[in-house]
Amino acid sequence: MNIVVGFKIVPDDTMIKATGDKIFLDVPLKISTYDKNAIEEAILLKEKMGGKVIGITVGNIERKSVREALAMGVDEVLAIKTQKADVYSTSLAITENIKAFNPDLVIFGEQTVDSGTSGVPGYVAEILGLPYLSNVKSLTIEGNLIKVERGMVSYVEEDETQLPAVISVGGEINTPRIPSVRQIMESAKKPVREVEFNPEPKVSIGEPKPLIVNRKKTIIEGNMSEAVDKLISQLREDGVL
Amino acid sequence: MKIVVFSESPPHYRMASALAQGFNAELIGISPQPQKLTDVNYVYDKLDEDGLVDFISSLSPDVVITGSVRRDRAIASRVAGRLRLPYIPDAVSLGIEGNVIKVTRTAYSGIALVDVTANIPAVITVAGTSIQPKEKETKVEKLSFKEGRIKTLSVKSTTSGASPATAQIVIGVGRGMGSKENVNYAEELAKSLGGVVGGSRPVCADLHWVSEDRQIGLSGLRIRPKLYIALGISGQPQHIAGIRDSKVIVAVNKDKDAPILENADYLVVGDAVEFCKLMKEKFKR
Repeated sequence: MNIVVGFKIVPDDTMIKATGDKIFLDVPLKISTYDKNAIEEAILLKEKMGGKVIGITVGNIERKSVREALAMGVDEVLAIKTQKADVYSTSLAITENIKAFNPDLVIFGEQTVDSGTSGVPGYVAEILGLPYLSNVKSLTIEGNLIKVERGMVSYVEEDETQLPAVISVGGEINTPRIPSVRQIMESAKKPVREVEFNPEPKVSIGEPKPLIVNRKKTIIEGNMSEAVDKLISQLREDGVL
Repeated sequence: MKIVVFSESPPHYRMASALAQGFNAELIGISPQPQKLTDVNYVYDKLDEDGLVDFISSLSPDVVITGSVRRDRAIASRVAGRLRLPYIPDAVSLGIEGNVIKVTRTAYSGIALVDVTANIPAVITVAGTSIQPKEKETKVEKLSFKEGRIKTLSVKSTTSGASPATAQIVIGVGRGMGSKENVNYAEELAKSLGGVVGGSRPVCADLHWVSEDRQIGLSGLRIRPKLYIALGISGQPQHIAGIRDSKVIVAVNKDKDAPILENADYLVVGDAVEFCKLMKEKFKR
């Protein structure tokens, strides 16, 4: 089976801070959280069914994160460098570069932790003319049939469709593996193809500005009974109890 | 100008309609229940995603505005992809001048706002607005779909009564609560305060300590109660995105350096179960 997995390299969301009127984005990079679940699922399927996993990343192509994907078990990575990108241009960069590979399954994380559009998987599916199953929390493949459970918050829907298809997955589907030192060493030998591709985006995106909610950040420590008394009287003062 | 409004969720449909009503345009709504907020309202019984994407695309809309629940985003991104249109999710406000649509949207799990612009036609999803839509005289039409490439085998509701989305007091449970049994202490506290229990995404969708429809966060429910009490929740950005609009936030955590402090008014340092027992007892008095 030919599997393509899309992943995005993003600023570590747990380290981003808003100070004054600026968002401090100059923090270490990482593979976006659910994109790691997408990589894990691609590798699990390959281990079960054979085939090849091609990783594709668009935007920032930081070497360390690309290596991490390879160390987890991706066979090769197509790293597409773009200057500015929106959902349209990212999707086009992906579809233009994976067509030749003829994927049976294209897997994405359901939402990145930076722009968080959750738009690329559906957009890619439409450009490729493939069926799209979003928010997959478990899946089975038999022959050409993929059967999935989709977590839609207020309901869980079981769907099936024919491969080839595009899916997006959330954090429930698996636990991403942590590569061993040996896998990390060996990943250096795996192929990475770097491409520049700059289609004109359709959306022009301004500078992010912080959306700050001022909180009191009062720490109440010590004996729990006294702490609760203190909290209750504070909450009454605030008019919320 | 023609604006198409769609959401599977009634509160999101209202938000999308409220933004759409701000423009001098023909408004076409699509929803599972009849809604009197647009000029025409197509009401469907059984959704087929392929069928709905075909239908919206066939209307040649100038703007498509959907809600932001998971199904809405799947449909919106596909319509944008089908018609090769600009796609802008999570709008909190929007304006159109001539051919240009200007949208303010949230990003980085809600800690930032970004202004974006594009030419219409365009596809937008709405994250939140306080604008209320007005009732309109609406022509209601039935809409049915042929089965597309995706076959739905079953739909299981996860709905479990009162929702954190509309409650005034919400108690959120995280992994730090320790076990499913311990969630009972949170339930009892919620009952005595007149509130509702929700949870972080792992606790709801993965561990099933709290029912799946009550997951609070970026891609789950975005709540706005007057009081939110986070029990054993460390404060991942994705969770914070769902509670940012709460009036007062209390966190209970064993670790006084837990990142949730940045977003809490009060952090009670200690065990969440002990907190629940004492808080319930003392509140009664």
